Amino acid sequence: MNSSEKPTGIAAAAILSVAVGLLALAASHLAAEYSEAAKNWVHGWGKAWMPGAQGIGPYSGKETLALIAWLGSWALLHLWLRRKNVDLTRAGILFLVGIGLATTLLWPPVIEKVLHILHGGH
Amino acid sequence: MRDLKGAGDRESARPLVVVVGGLALTGLTVTAVTAPVADLLGNSRYALEGTLHGVTAVLFMVTATIGLFQAYRLLTGTVQHAAQLEFGGVVNAFLAFLTILFGNRIYIFYRAQGGPRTYFLENMPQIHKIFFEFKEFIALFTLPLAVAAAFLFLIYRDQFIRSRGLRNLAAVLLALTFFYFLVTFTLGAAITKLRAL
Repeated sequence: MNSSEKPTGIAAAAILSVAVGLLALAASHLAAEYSEAAKNWVHGWGKAWMPGAQGIGPYSGKETLALIAWLGSWALLHLWLRRKNVDLTRAGILFLVGIGLATTLLWPPVIEKVLHILHGGH
Repeated sequence: MRDLKGAGDRESARPLVVVVGGLALTGLTVTAVTAPVADLLGNSRYALEGTLHGVTAVLFMVTATIGLFQAYRLLTGTVQHAAQLEFGGVVNAFLAFLTILFGNRIYIFYRAQGGPRTYFLENMPQIHKIFFEFKEFIALFTLPLAVAAAFLFLIYRDQFIRSRGLRNLAAVLLALTFFYFLVTFTLGAAITKLRAL
């Protein structure tokens, strides 16, 4: 590697944090749908800072938690990986698996099935 | 061979830019003063917010489509200068942010008593439960994807030209931004057709 070239860990941190943020979005949606208490808790995160959060509803909290997970994990992963050269193919595969999982979990028929299982349904 | 990016070309293009800019400004001024703009926006209480969301979404469609083309160029290794990617990447990310910001604003009206949500839940519950809920979440995917792509362009600059791994990664980010935008835009347009704000 050329000494002036930047390590690939910076890129890996940037994309992996996207997957973390979107998985947090799916998880917070699942939590909010699971119980009324969890829905209020999630909504509380939005109401803490977002203008119009009362009207937006729990969606504001889901956005907030996803934002915190995305930017927080980006900062942590960046600190960890910024001087390392990592395999971008592996990081890319991990990222795609994460984003695929988040998309699947947010597809309403799937989330209904998951909730059915969590509530002890058969 | 003459350098197409030479100073001579930039100078010769300047009068053309001034003339086109002047004509555009004149056209906009005449339109703004004489056209019934309020009628164009619609008579809903939420016309302005809805228009801003629609306009930013259409602009984002343009930049996301350009992004898809850049993804193809990155995959085929035909990008010659990193600067070609940086500006477009930042604009793409900014438009993703604005579209979500205005989308958040009209979501309040969507959920309000008597709004489209009430209508869908009473008449077509599956439209809200499946299509709208899915749309509202995957719309959010576009922001971190577009920001990550812009970040990579700004950080790695010319290293992109030499690294196939970085090019592939950025291409995937731009292609996914386009994909999630397209699904969101299509569902949004369909829902608006069924019940406008």
